[in-house]
Amino acid sequence: MAERRARGAGAEPPIFRFFGGKGGAGKTTLAAAAALAAAERGREVLVVSTDPAHSLGDALQLRLGGHPRRVPTRRGVLRAAEVNADLAVARWMGARRPALRAIALRGTLLDGADVDRLLRLSLPGVDELMGLLEVMRLARVRPYDEVVVDTAPTGHTLRLLRMPPMLERLAVVLDGLYAKHRFLRLQLGGDDRPDASDALIAALEDEAGALQTLLRDRARARLTWITLPEMLSLRESEDAIRALDGLGIAVERIVINRLTRAARPGCPSCAARSGVERGMVATRSEALRHRLTSVVAARDREPRGPGALRALARELAAGDTAADLAPPRRAPALRPAAPAAEARESPLWLGALSPPGTRLLLVLGKGGVGKSTCAATVALAAARRLASSRGRRPDVLLLSTDPAHSLGDVLDAPVDHEARSIRGAPRALHVRELDAERAFRHERARYLAAADALLGSAGDRGGLGTVHDRAALRSLLELAPPGLDELFGMLGIVDALLARPGRPARYGLVVVDSAPTGHALRLLGLPDTALAWVRALLAILLRYRRVIRLGALARDLVALSQDLRQFRALLHDGTATRAVVVTRPGRLPRLETERLMASLRARGIGISGIIVNAMTPETAAACRSCRAAARAEAGELAALGGHARGRRRHAIWRTPALTAPPRGHEALAAWGRRWTRALA
Amino acid sequence: MIILDSLLMGGLRFVLEKLAAAVEAELDDDGVLREELLAAQMRLELGEIDDTEFRRIEADLLERIGEIRERRRGEETPRGSLRVTGAEVTFEGEESEHRDDGGKTRARRRR
Repeated sequence: MAERRARGAGAEPPIFRFFGGKGGAGKTTLAAAAALAAAERGREVLVVSTDPAHSLGDALQLRLGGHPRRVPTRRGVLRAAEVNADLAVARWMGARRPALRAIALRGTLLDGADVDRLLRLSLPGVDELMGLLEVMRLARVRPYDEVVVDTAPTGHTLRLLRMPPMLERLAVVLDGLYAKHRFLRLQLGGDDRPDASDALIAALEDEAGALQTLLRDRARARLTWITLPEMLSLRESEDAIRALDGLGIAVERIVINRLTRAARPGCPSCAARSGVERGMVATRSEALRHRLTSVVAARDREPRGPGALRALARELAAGDTAADLAPPRRAPALRPAAPAAEARESPLWLGALSPPGTRLLLVLGKGGVGKSTCAATVALAAARRLASSRGRRPDVLLLSTDPAHSLGDVLDAPVDHEARSIRGAPRALHVRELDAERAFRHERARYLAAADALLGSAGDRGGLGTVHDRAALRSLLELAPPGLDELFGMLGIVDALLARPGRPARYGLVVVDSAPTGHALRLLGLPDTALAWVRALLAILLRYRRVIRLGALARDLVALSQDLRQFRALLHDGTATRAVVVTRPGRLPRLETERLMASLRARGIGISGIIVNAMTPETAAACRSCRAAARAEAGELAALGGHARGRRRHAIWRTPALTAPPRGHEALAAWGRRWTRALA
Repeated sequence: MIILDSLLMGGLRFVLEKLAAAVEAELDDDGVLREELLAAQMRLELGEIDDTEFRRIEADLLERIGEIRERRRGEETPRGSLRVTGAEVTFEGEESEHRDDGGKTRARRRR
């Protein structure tokens, strides 16, 4: 191909710039801005998104796909792509299936039909597994100088960056499976030249090693971490940067995005907001403080189009601007929540969003729109409604399935893996932040036994495999596999909602504070994927039941299969399961929200309402910027209303932006009383 | 040779498993019936049998399990006249890793 000129000898490999941060912090916009600026310095640049809920195309105002396409620039070359994980897996598997099949056939006692069935199944964590590999593949196609990577929100980006060791251990396991075949081949005087399967194992090892080296090479891989001057965003960034340090991945620069400019004269809103933001930034911990920090000012309008992106890039590239971040001279008075009259009645929106009979309330939305804050507010109101009603009092569980949790910060109370009540809040409410890795560690012994039963060679009844090196299998299970967050998120919901033999359901209502869109949708699709796996394993166990005893693994699988079927039925029961979609009155969030709603409809999940979060209040004293912001928001709200009115009408509720977002159960309840119906 | 290897081991393994199964069936038949029940549940989950069919199998197996228990409680004396008391297995060739297989060991030790 003429276009595919090979990298000349001696040419420098590209520099990889990763943009990470909490959802909604501005990763995509800033990644697009940085990529455009780099190209216009005369370089050849690729910008690629690995977030399953892509918005890079929205930021560049182009329709993007898995193949890079050219973006118009004044100078240089810019290409952009959004990784399509399913296509990437299909391509990856397509090329490697014969070699993998050979390993499975020669390394286990499974026959061709079993192996084919297993190789056809999809993996839930495939975005993380494939994301990095696909970026590297795209980066090799042309002699790029720079590759800019727009990543998924925090939790899943950390998973993505942990993939290389996982890949390495996978290669070791495959190697163990193939060892016997290799031994026999050699013993029988066969050819000792490596075959296709050997080559695959070696390539996997090499690729894992190369990725690991790249990510730790400060000259070739640079990570820009983006945060907003808000408490939740700052806390999440501190946790993430500690985790990145642990992985040996250097954070080159911190960007504090959308900082309100020094108060515009005479505008009380701007002044108050600016004070609160600076106060928040001043509380940032050492993890953030001692790093190169850039500040990007808030815009009156969302930065759209090349002109706006160029201006952003100039601010981004400015040196250390942390000096601008002097804390306010007077500590801002964090306005306490209005001590509204104790409302005895439930707020109006509660009956609409979570009508009686609701068992599972899914709070969904793009990263950073305020899902946790809204989910906590709804759960508190639902628990209060229970407390004021007579009769049975099943509890409400507020469950976070986002690996980067915020519920503890939102409720300003200790929250962890164990469900617990919140001091002072209604007793009917339990809160839990699911820790998938901890749950996995807890269950690891069972998984090891299951893996041994299926593949292991020792044990008193034997297994289907001839793995010499069981340590390899164990070492693979020491790492958290991809898709773990979704799997345990689903199992956590199942455990809380479904009755079990000998015990009723634990909770009457489960409010799920879910991961940002892409991964939340993956969780909702997981029952089908998991059922396919469970059934494949059941079928294999049945076929080989004369060789391996059915035992505990089969009993576990039967129970899991029953749970999954029950959960799937519940998920599609329009009375029991309802989705609440949270968004912000901005263009990027609106476009993603419209796609999210279409996906939910396609999956047969009912939407009970939309929350447009943090609308700028219109006050007479507002400055021109504040009024312009309020007008732009009203426009987005109207556009969303038009979409929501489509085939099925969805009620839209608006929540007021507070100078400092509500924190603690009392502030949340008071804020909730100020939600109003929009465009009714 | 690879074919020979796997045929030899596979065949041997098959015979041993059968013997072990026969021994076990006699020693612990309600355990075997429980496995049958589990297998029926698996087939139900896989959609190979329907609910009615499953209930029929379940009722039959539960009845047989009940009978065995009754019989055990009723008589302390050995049951039945036919009994597998042992199995002797020899084979030629090198021993392989499969020799530690539990089923075979059991079959051999009950001589």
